[in-house]
Amino acid sequence: MSEAVVQIANVSKRFRIYHERNTTLKQSLVARRRGRYEEFWAVRDVSVDVPEGESLGIIGENGSGKSTLLKCVAGILVQDKGTISVRGRLASLLEVGAGFHPDFTGRENVYLNGAILGLPRRYIKSIMDEIVEFAELEQFIDNPVKTYSSGMYTRLGFAIAVNLDPDILVVDEVLAVGDEAFQRRCMERINTLRAEGRTLVFVSHALDSVRAVCDRCVWMDHGLARMTGGVDAVVAAYLAEVNRREEEELEVVESTEVDTSPGRLGVRITAVDLGGPGGSTSVLNTGDSLTISIAYESPEPLRGARFSVTFLRADGAPIITVPTDDLETGDTALPRQGVVRLSLPGVPFLEGFYRVTVEISEIATGQHYKRLERVRPFRVHSADHRESGMALLGHRWELPQVAARAARD
Amino acid sequence: MASTELLPERSRPQRPRAPHAGPIAGRLELLLELVRRDVKSRYRGSVLGVGWTLLNPLIFMLVYSLVFGKFLKVHYPGGSATVFILSGLLTWTFFSQALIMATSSIVANGSLVRKVAFPWVLLSISSVIAALVNFAISLLLMIPFMFLAHKGVGLPVLAVPLLVAVTFALSLGLGLVLAAGNVYLRDLSYLVNLGTLIWFYITPVIYPLALVQTKFSGHGLEGDAAHAVIYINPMTWVVLGFQDVFVFNRWPQHWHGLGYSVVFSALSIWIGLRVFRRLRRRFAEEV
Repeated sequence: MSEAVVQIANVSKRFRIYHERNTTLKQSLVARRRGRYEEFWAVRDVSVDVPEGESLGIIGENGSGKSTLLKCVAGILVQDKGTISVRGRLASLLEVGAGFHPDFTGRENVYLNGAILGLPRRYIKSIMDEIVEFAELEQFIDNPVKTYSSGMYTRLGFAIAVNLDPDILVVDEVLAVGDEAFQRRCMERINTLRAEGRTLVFVSHALDSVRAVCDRCVWMDHGLARMTGGVDAVVAAYLAEVNRREEEELEVVESTEVDTSPGRLGVRITAVDLGGPGGSTSVLNTGDSLTISIAYESPEPLRGARFSVTFLRADGAPIITVPTDDLETGDTALPRQGVVRLSLPGVPFLEGFYRVTVEISEIATGQHYKRLERVRPFRVHSADHRESGMALLGHRWELPQVAARAARD
Repeated sequence: MASTELLPERSRPQRPRAPHAGPIAGRLELLLELVRRDVKSRYRGSVLGVGWTLLNPLIFMLVYSLVFGKFLKVHYPGGSATVFILSGLLTWTFFSQALIMATSSIVANGSLVRKVAFPWVLLSISSVIAALVNFAISLLLMIPFMFLAHKGVGLPVLAVPLLVAVTFALSLGLGLVLAAGNVYLRDLSYLVNLGTLIWFYITPVIYPLALVQTKFSGHGLEGDAAHAVIYINPMTWVVLGFQDVFVFNRWPQHWHGLGYSVVFSALSIWIGLRVFRRLRRRFAEEV
């Protein structure tokens, strides 16, 4: 690996948490000092080197200090202990459209924002048309940005930011805003920079983006760098920890309880039950049979209703939604009270923590009668499986003939 | 690290890199852009726009010359109350506006300071430059009134850049201290408003210095105090310089006082930058 272009050595950052802030003169004079405050170490003794051309991800829960660390690297905050040395030109992008002036036109703000980010005016002028086209703002670029929708505002900010071309790019969660298409373009841009050997420091909650973009990863936990290493290993360890914590919470809360209050037209879901091979359960093995029983009640017979079950990953990302067949339930009037069952011959999910979202809706309008989100958590173990990821996939490998022969020899 | 294998092989840049201005040029460009913003935003959305820059001192000047010149019968040397008052008033407006705008320059741009690392001192500098631009525009007011009073300017006008530089340095130096302090103690911006109002009256803008000298001579301690306050005020000598140039068409007469103001303002810049640099460490968290 080449030499480190960002060296973070034993960095600690302290914040003051004010109990009563003396921001007015009277208070200051009376208190004779600047308020009572507690010290809070947001980052504690973190060391990590980023070699040239590497992408470093920083993950962790809210309040774990990852953004604070990033702001120290960007030079917005100054660490209280330790050193950060940066070799090369560093640009940071913590917010798109920072410093936009509401009364100024889009065009004027492009120059202003560009200058703040370090882009020369002449260069911006030369790429102005590209920026406007990229932001899809041809008709509005000479209107004040206060008249823009939040989407337009974000797009314009992005269109300027993607033109940043530093040696080291520091990015915080900006991918979280903007629509799907824009996020993709931003990722493309980041991948281009990576391919060109630029260095990247990237904070995100979106573990998938971190995995896609980063080589190495730091897991921040209560201000400490809990684990530093290859991105897959660190993300896996982090997820395992998140799952473990969730399970702990699970034991505290009575997890099988669901909200049985009546929904639209008085339709209620009275119970959602998970049945494994050995009866009602919350822990399964990959490949086990699984039955989800939805008990409902309705003041009138249910006609034209659709049931659906969505399986969700621990982070809330949906894996698959399984609705009932409209032809089967569409014309049938279901009794006022009953149980609908969904059976899976084998649970395809791999090691992890899952939930379901259960819904009864009206086929004709799509409106739901009752929807229970993220209920009935369950754990899947897959110790016997070599596959990693989210779910099993029917598969078969074929090896080349030569290799097969060689293996016999 | 399975993901890296999906990417194209790392190579040196193929694409031409976006240019970037060098550290100095980049700062100048950013400063220019910020000044543009500060000047424009002042007039955006107002009907009269730049007209206010002229109308404000014009109206104050008319009120002062009416009240002091006509009603209170203050004798203004040089024969023209309007030119006398205007020359001091424009300078003073520049100074006080620069000071007030600089004081709030960091707090007002808090969202920027929290999110982007750039030399934040440029925010304060640009607010003082924006006040300078307004001052330059307001100087146009001198033309009709000097014409009406049959006054002209000669070579002494060359002293104006020095006087402007002193005012600029003084307001920037103090402004930097106040801008940094205001992040931690928001009352400062109110105090500055009040302070400049009081400061205005201890500067010989609407009264001639000679008036103070005659009124207070022989009044013992009280007179000495009044003199001292006016004499240690660095703006006194700048305003007197402007009056010399525009009212009397002569070089500034109080070279000692002006020298003192030059030293004072240079010192204030030095202190201002030092204080600012010291306090900027926690700007992003406190602003």
